[in-house]
Amino acid sequence: MMSEFERQHPVASVSRAFGLIRGNIVTILVFLFVGAQSESFPFLWWIGGGFAFLLIIGVANWWRFQYKMDGDTLHIRSGIFVRKDLYLTKDRVQVIDISSGIMQRLFGLVRLDIQTAGATSRQAAIDAITNVKALEINRILRDSHTSSSEPDSGSKIADIPDSDFLKELKLPLKELFIAASTSGSFGIALSVLATVFSQIEPLISESELFEYIISVLPSQTDTMMIGIIVFMFIVFAWLISFFSTLLTYGNFKLVVKEKEIIISRGIFEKKRVTIPYNRIQAIHVSEGLIRQPLGYASVHLESAGYGDEKGTGSIVLFPLIRRANILQLLNDVLPDYQKEMKGLKPPGRALRRYIFKSAFPITVTTGALYWFLGLNLWIWLLPMVSLLWGWLKYRDAALAWGDDILLFRSRKLSKSTAYIKKKRVQDALIYQSLIQRYRNLCSVQIHVASGDRGKSFMVEDLEYEEGIRLLNAVRKNGINTDNHIPERTPNGILLPGWVSPVNTF
Amino acid sequence: MSEPSFHKLAPGVIRVWQWSNSISNLFFLAIPVGYALFFGYIGSHLWFIICSALIILTYWLLSIVWVPFLSWKNWRYSINQKEIDLKHGILFKTRTLIPLSRVQHVDTRQGPLFRHYKLSSVTISTAATTHEIPGLDRVLADRVRKQISTYARLAEDDV
Repeated sequence: MMSEFERQHPVASVSRAFGLIRGNIVTILVFLFVGAQSESFPFLWWIGGGFAFLLIIGVANWWRFQYKMDGDTLHIRSGIFVRKDLYLTKDRVQVIDISSGIMQRLFGLVRLDIQTAGATSRQAAIDAITNVKALEINRILRDSHTSSSEPDSGSKIADIPDSDFLKELKLPLKELFIAASTSGSFGIALSVLATVFSQIEPLISESELFEYIISVLPSQTDTMMIGIIVFMFIVFAWLISFFSTLLTYGNFKLVVKEKEIIISRGIFEKKRVTIPYNRIQAIHVSEGLIRQPLGYASVHLESAGYGDEKGTGSIVLFPLIRRANILQLLNDVLPDYQKEMKGLKPPGRALRRYIFKSAFPITVTTGALYWFLGLNLWIWLLPMVSLLWGWLKYRDAALAWGDDILLFRSRKLSKSTAYIKKKRVQDALIYQSLIQRYRNLCSVQIHVASGDRGKSFMVEDLEYEEGIRLLNAVRKNGINTDNHIPERTPNGILLPGWVSPVNTF
Repeated sequence: MSEPSFHKLAPGVIRVWQWSNSISNLFFLAIPVGYALFFGYIGSHLWFIICSALIILTYWLLSIVWVPFLSWKNWRYSINQKEIDLKHGILFKTRTLIPLSRVQHVDTRQGPLFRHYKLSSVTISTAATTHEIPGLDRVLADRVRKQISTYARLAEDDV
């Protein structure tokens, strides 16, 4: 037994340092960007010094992190300056995840994540621990589990499929490649590239290779040069986002059990998340701008309590799926959610508001840019596109409710369809601006718990009366039959509309 | 279903808002001042400074004379055993519904201005958001807080 305080394997300090880098990547990039401007301070010093500093923090964290088993209580003591004592008792522990990243696997170690019941509790984690010890902790905290949440769990190890194992879904290779090539993490990749480029740019422009390229290229204008550079940047960014998605979602596996679902993914860095059903607050399907025309979407869920480093509770339930198969997937994972119901669209008089709200800011910005920077006439294509964007937002906005469920469908860039159980709604709001009041419209919004914070879903410019009826629908928690959306309303629509109604009935 | 009975805030809150607006909105005057220091005040710059200063002063006066009153007039709250219902907003009206079974904790708060006018705010937190009923009489605020927490406990038993 481990009744004495123990430290983790020393490699925990390194993985902690990497964790810090990953958690603060944006800050670090900004620092590098700023640091690169100063002449007196060489770039490599910035990187080296920064990493040494993080390593020191990592070592200090490792030194101050101790854990022991005290009967059926796991006692974790941590914190460099402020000591924090965390006691995890058996009856509070809800989920134990054993996973391993690159660092851990190099040394034959595992990472132990413990989530406790309670909506806002943060998880406790032991970063680097031998498999034997992890299994022992898992056994003690989980084995003679008497609470109702795990009535017939005879498993010693979380990895072995239990008797309540229901279904396993994998991401086919083809879909993985489509997901990777259409992933929207362009922006992040671009900013990384920009930083790197700003560092090596002086090297390139002084090198002979660069001059050689310049001399070889046919006589080019400045605009063409800029065009080529921009194009290359985009190709690079795409490649980066392609491979990062490939590595993140490779080996994707979704296991559905009676009480919980388990998501595991990652090629080098393996991640494993266990989500008990009673933690799921909302589920939403996102159809991206590139993916929607190809007939693909990704499915996400909002979970209370499960917080990653950023504190959001958003988890990818399935990275890419054909639109026609979404309902099948949802039926497999969440059979108790009502999927199809009658919904409401914004009335026709709301269309101009949608178009105005999309087009106005873009037109003004374009105008200003055109005027002050003297840009090309082609830039006026942007306001044209924004008209289409406004129309798309109008077309995709819809709201519906069933006996115990709400459906919010809207579009920012990608189209999002969200299912929320009524009993998970934290609050419901309706907004009316002066103009909306004049036009008898309103915007509705609800919040659900997600991670440490909440997440909101919103539909704009519905009939005011429908907004009031939504409030009444939320008000009557649970089954109610007197507040259904009538069979025939002028703005009626059958949601979610992924399959044509002909096929469904 | 009958409309729930709505209550108003304590009229004293108008005074509090007048004071706090008069102080906080004064900082907007930093815009023309900063502009003048940066660009000088000759020619077209002078016009910009005069216009912006006039707009800000008008806004400042309105935010003292008129806005607090309108804000008070538009504020309504209602609490019953099932939910909390809040209505507020002058141009941009908001109506909030919080099911009582979702309420995690309630507390009363008192800033220095509120204390001077013997008022309190009641803050209602759910797992996702926090809402505030600003400016209730101190005694009433305590009663509202107790009422909400009692109802919340009852509502939790239902679910």
